[in-house]
Amino acid sequence: MSIGKRTSQLSRGIDIPAYLSFFALVIIGWLSLFAASYNGTGIQEVFSLSTEIGRQTVWLGLSIVSFIAILTIDWKFWSTFAYVIYGLGIFLLLAVLIFGVEIKGSTSWFNIAGFSFQPSEFSKLATCLAIASLLGSTQINIKNNRHFSIALAMVGVPAFLIMLQPDAGSALVFSSFLILFYRAGANSLFYILGLAFITNVILGLVFGVSPTLIFSMLVTIGVIMFIINSDIRFLANFFLIALASFVFYRFGYKIPTFIVLGLILVGFSIYMIRENKIQQLILTVVFLAISVFITMITNWSFNNVLKPHQQDRINVWLRPDLCEPRGSLYNIIQSKTAIGSGGFWGTGFLKGAMTKLDFVPEQNTDFIFCTIGEEHGFLGVFGVIVLFMILLYRIVLMAENTRLDFIRYYMYGVAGIIFFHVFINIGMTMGIMPVVGIPLPLMSKGGTSILVFFLMIAILFKMDLKRVR
Amino acid sequence: MGRSRQILLLFFVSALVLIAKAAQIQLFDDKYEKLAQRNTLDQHTIYPTRGIIYDRNNEVLVYNKPVYDIDVIYNQVDKKMDTTLFCQLLEIEVDVFKKNIEKNWASPKYHKSIPFTFLAKVKPEVFAKFQEHIYRFPGFLANVRSIRSYPHQNAAHLLGYLGEVDQITLNKNKEIYVGGDYIGKSGLEKKYEETLRGKKGVRHVITDNLGRVVESFNKGELDQKAKPGINIITGIDFELQKYGEELMQGKRGSIVAIEPATGEILCAISAPGYDPNLLNLDEDRGKAFDELRDDVNKTLLDRTVLAKYPPGSIFKPILSLIAFQEGITGPYRGVSCPGYYEYNTFRYKCHDHPYPSNVGIALTHSCNSYFFDMIRKTLEVNGYNKPGEGLQMLDNYLNKFGLGQALGIDHPTESAGFIPTPAFYNRMYANEVNGWKSTYVMSIGIGQGELELTTVQMANLAAIIANKGKYITPHLVKSYNDPGMNIDPKYQSVKDVGIDEEHFAPVIRGMENVLNWGTGTKARVPGVRVAGKTGTSENPHGEDHSVFFAFAPIDDPKIAIAVYIENAGFGSDFAAPIAGLMMEKYIHKKISEKSKYKEEQVLSIQLIEEPEI
Repeated sequence: MSIGKRTSQLSRGIDIPAYLSFFALVIIGWLSLFAASYNGTGIQEVFSLSTEIGRQTVWLGLSIVSFIAILTIDWKFWSTFAYVIYGLGIFLLLAVLIFGVEIKGSTSWFNIAGFSFQPSEFSKLATCLAIASLLGSTQINIKNNRHFSIALAMVGVPAFLIMLQPDAGSALVFSSFLILFYRAGANSLFYILGLAFITNVILGLVFGVSPTLIFSMLVTIGVIMFIINSDIRFLANFFLIALASFVFYRFGYKIPTFIVLGLILVGFSIYMIRENKIQQLILTVVFLAISVFITMITNWSFNNVLKPHQQDRINVWLRPDLCEPRGSLYNIIQSKTAIGSGGFWGTGFLKGAMTKLDFVPEQNTDFIFCTIGEEHGFLGVFGVIVLFMILLYRIVLMAENTRLDFIRYYMYGVAGIIFFHVFINIGMTMGIMPVVGIPLPLMSKGGTSILVFFLMIAILFKMDLKRVR
Repeated sequence: MGRSRQILLLFFVSALVLIAKAAQIQLFDDKYEKLAQRNTLDQHTIYPTRGIIYDRNNEVLVYNKPVYDIDVIYNQVDKKMDTTLFCQLLEIEVDVFKKNIEKNWASPKYHKSIPFTFLAKVKPEVFAKFQEHIYRFPGFLANVRSIRSYPHQNAAHLLGYLGEVDQITLNKNKEIYVGGDYIGKSGLEKKYEETLRGKKGVRHVITDNLGRVVESFNKGELDQKAKPGINIITGIDFELQKYGEELMQGKRGSIVAIEPATGEILCAISAPGYDPNLLNLDEDRGKAFDELRDDVNKTLLDRTVLAKYPPGSIFKPILSLIAFQEGITGPYRGVSCPGYYEYNTFRYKCHDHPYPSNVGIALTHSCNSYFFDMIRKTLEVNGYNKPGEGLQMLDNYLNKFGLGQALGIDHPTESAGFIPTPAFYNRMYANEVNGWKSTYVMSIGIGQGELELTTVQMANLAAIIANKGKYITPHLVKSYNDPGMNIDPKYQSVKDVGIDEEHFAPVIRGMENVLNWGTGTKARVPGVRVAGKTGTSENPHGEDHSVFFAFAPIDDPKIAIAVYIENAGFGSDFAAPIAGLMMEKYIHKKISEKSKYKEEQVLSIQLIEEPEI
């Protein structure tokens, strides 16, 4: 299970790579934000509360103070009050629906003395603590389906409240707890099924119904062949079948392909009944049935359930050829253009024309990564991604080195949250992920976001320090 | 593999995916770099000022006047703006406002964040009012551009007008024009388009996402200044042009005057004329153009170069010169005229006049019989049965006189006129067993029949006689206001029509007497010896055309002129006094008391209804 012991000198104190990468990201983030909002007037903007960078700097100061404060608090505080904090998070999410201010169509913010506070960010931390506490309890076993349901509900409630704001992006972040659940031992069958179904949906949207059906049938055949005999000959046969059906399908023999694949499936089924592998057969048939069902309803629900702006986002991601370059595709084109124009070395700090001239939408918040891509080029992009990887890797190491489940799960929760934000956010700026409005951790403008990430990581570092004593 | 490793693998693979994608768009695809440049680097065209056109005395004939285009950025428009005030200031209807601002946003032509033209060609006086209030209307910007303007109401045909460049020209000259540019469509504006238009400049600027200029690119090192168009000095005498247009009011026809020594065109009047300001590129232009185009008098037709008229009796001096040069007849030969000319079955009426004992008397009184005789002898120079050879000889001379082909003046459209060739008559009389004879076509001897000349050709004939057989191709432009540019050498070389100088004296004497006691007494200019010839060209469709051509003074010709009045009757009654007044105006710079009555008479004549524009 564990990854191995860290070297002895590191275990004596703080985890230097984790701290370094964390603070490097904070500094790069602040500089990028400065660059994105810089309009040539100079450094004094930083000290003015009327500018975005000025306000962000105040938040950053507050975050650093909190960071230090947390390092002085005993980590047990967080396990003791995990549910209280979770309750507070839920309370705030309810309150914001009633008392919050609406910005750009979402009621996600409290406005306190000119600073806005976003409860959904806080609830990520609260939920992470609560889940860790739940799964860390000796009476709870995630392999028990009832207990797993409780954990899912704890994640589902805040996600649902955030959906009501509505803020689909932040709500989606809660799916990152699936990583924590997986580490805690959740049944991998769920994950395989989930992945298969998501693949079904994506293929259905990109290629349409019949290629996706062929895909599902092929996967089912592959699974059956694997069950019957997992040796290399069967694998080769399977690839032959897959290749043949692809070729036939491409050349227009659609219905014959379906019939042949169907016959193969029937043949295998008979064989499996003879071999008395009925239970596995039922499972695979159910899998195929659900796949077919999902494939069939994907396009229908895309057109009838999703709102036009949500359809647009999916289209921009998966079917850009359906989109207007000047319309829904505009933002992503500008974003890719900014990053692409950076080349290898970038245009240089404060010299990014696209970001300087406001071509990139939301360039301070969700699209802050464009500034890095444009001004620092591939080197900057590579560097930032590597820094996040180092941080994640060190967190996983810390998690594996603790003996306490609460701490381990909390750390995996944080890693999942950070990973989800980073992958979706950066992926979205380059067009490989749908445009979901979530910030890039430690970099995007947004006071609550940076404060909460500081808190999360401070708690995590504090928990790690505990080992030393 | 443990789950912690699987999770790490997920992180690692995801990071690789992101890095690979970044490498693709940053390192392997230069599409984005170019896109970024297009996004931020903008080339602004600087329009050159168009060349100004002057007359021979440096009077401005055309200059440039600023007009304003109002552009708008839709997203910046205040939804609560005072539309009523806005429309009042710009003098437009609220409907127009709505129509102009709500574009088809699905079309790639328009974008809510990019400026587009809201209202084009706003007049300076309207704009001045609007400018005071423009701060109230965020999102609206003004761009200045220039249009042609005229400090007078004259010379419209000759100057020509501008219009938007058409697709064909655009396709051929992609590096010069873009859609919506203006180009000379007629007259001097068209002929001298290349000289007048100048060269566009370009300014490389950095723009922000709203298309607003932030700064110039590379400190303007790549910028090119616009090269203004070259000013043109024409040979036109504006005072004469204006006076001629005044005299031609209420008439249809044309006047062309040439300085014989240089071939410079002094005036080119096509009547009825119109105010060139009407076809200015402001918002009323379309309507005015349609009305001019559709009006019964064909006002847009430039009659000086496009209308082809039978010359009538002014052809007689030319025929005489050719006959003398060929030795077919001499100036002192007399021809009896019993009041008609009779030859076999041909009989043509003449009028009552003294016996034409020489060519001078025949010209003075415009005896038809004399010239029927002369044309017959000319055509039959190689025998009665070979009139084609005689005609070919005649045509060769006429070609040298600049007839039957475009003169080559600097006008974009010029008619060739028409002179009948032997082949033409062979076709026409193809059914005649023995072919056609000189008697069939004798009416060309008095400038009738199939002969057709443009007014500028007629004026040039007067100049040829004034120069005693020499001429320079008539032209409008005298020089350029640019030391490096010279006018076309063909407007400097002297042409010879192949008539010996000695043959001119008797003809000129006869033409002088036309004014002394002949048919053209109304063309007299006080104190100046003038040679002229009237013509009345028969018009089967209506009233005869009245024509006169002349030059003066005889000893030192300063002006050669042709006046053609459509459907006016005798040449002596209409064309002659107008030609006289024009010559007097040009030579004396004013009209004497003695001639005032003529002026009043001419001005009072209304032959057509003026179009109401």
